[in-house]
Amino acid sequence: MEYSYYPGCSLTGSAKRLDMATRKILLTLGYTIKEIPEWNCCGAVEYGNKEELIRLSRENLKKAEAVSKTIIAPCPACYRNLKESNRDGDFNIYNPLDMFNVADINKLEIKKDLKKMVFTPYYGCVLLRPKETAIKNRNIIEEIITNFGGEIDGEKIRDRCCGGNLFFSNKEMTEKCVNLIASRSKGIFVVYCPLCHMALNTFSNRKVVYITNIILYMLGERKNI
Amino acid sequence: MEKIIAYTGYKKKDFSACLGCKICASVCTLNDFSMHANPQGLLLKILLGDNTITDDPLIKNCVSCYRCTDACPWQIRVPEVVRAIRETLELSSPFEKAFKGSISIWGRVYEPYIFMNAIGFLIKNGYLKHLMKWTEYISFHLPHKIKRI
Repeated sequence: MEYSYYPGCSLTGSAKRLDMATRKILLTLGYTIKEIPEWNCCGAVEYGNKEELIRLSRENLKKAEAVSKTIIAPCPACYRNLKESNRDGDFNIYNPLDMFNVADINKLEIKKDLKKMVFTPYYGCVLLRPKETAIKNRNIIEEIITNFGGEIDGEKIRDRCCGGNLFFSNKEMTEKCVNLIASRSKGIFVVYCPLCHMALNTFSNRKVVYITNIILYMLGERKNI
Repeated sequence: MEKIIAYTGYKKKDFSACLGCKICASVCTLNDFSMHANPQGLLLKILLGDNTITDDPLIKNCVSCYRCTDACPWQIRVPEVVRAIRETLELSSPFEKAFKGSISIWGRVYEPYIFMNAIGFLIKNGYLKHLMKWTEYISFHLPHKIKRI
């Protein structure tokens, strides 16, 4: 089965590495993906008029029909907007985190484990809230890390807000949010959102990685996490 | 006020569904920083047509975390209400305006365009000191103009 792939704007630019890693892992797990032709921006959170925002993603759904009605959208904002615009339920929309699971990764050849490493899985807002657009397995990052020997910290701040939405309008707020998150956790931040990555990386002195880095590291595709 | 309500995607009577329990205020991210946010009060002001909404701390600081929605018995989407108010009051930052500008030109966000268009704002507000941490986000590509939106 072929899946429609909606990378979104960030993944063509500042989060290009997330795009490449996600494609690689999906391919390794046996998913055939094809980019939606001529996809447009989902509008992220920049549109106050909800109808206008929904319209952008509805266009993307129409364009996806040319490939498949089952869509994979890595960027949490795009993923959420696509799900919101799927009002009639004609499409199936997934985040790659819905495709990742321990059993499938276990079937691959694991070359390195995560022993003696401490991680703070950080989901942020959009992947977990609102409930109706949340990912299926709300512990997927923890499951992957602990299954391969890594340690978890910062359970209480995993779904706190990084303030990334206000990064380019009111960054004092973003800084406060990140300080709170960083003060209540330790280890390497593990995220799946380009905006969380940027916010945590800018305002904390800790290492921030995508979960895809960790998977590729275990598969021997990366030297370091 | 009608415009705000229309933008939220709700109808005016939907705002009367709020029970006034204030669980939204108890989980609000802003209150982690003692910012006296009360989403319930904001919803009530909209229902009553009270124009003092502009002074509400949520308008400037709501981070769109949806913790309030998650806790609300009716799952009321306060962040979308706040965004509707911001849009109606034209409170977008130059960065956000450039974001929409890029979409109207190419149909997609082209980050170098936004960066250059908002450069004055970024300098003035002290963003350039973060540049060293942003090097890993730089990747060269040309904008792609899509055929239609």
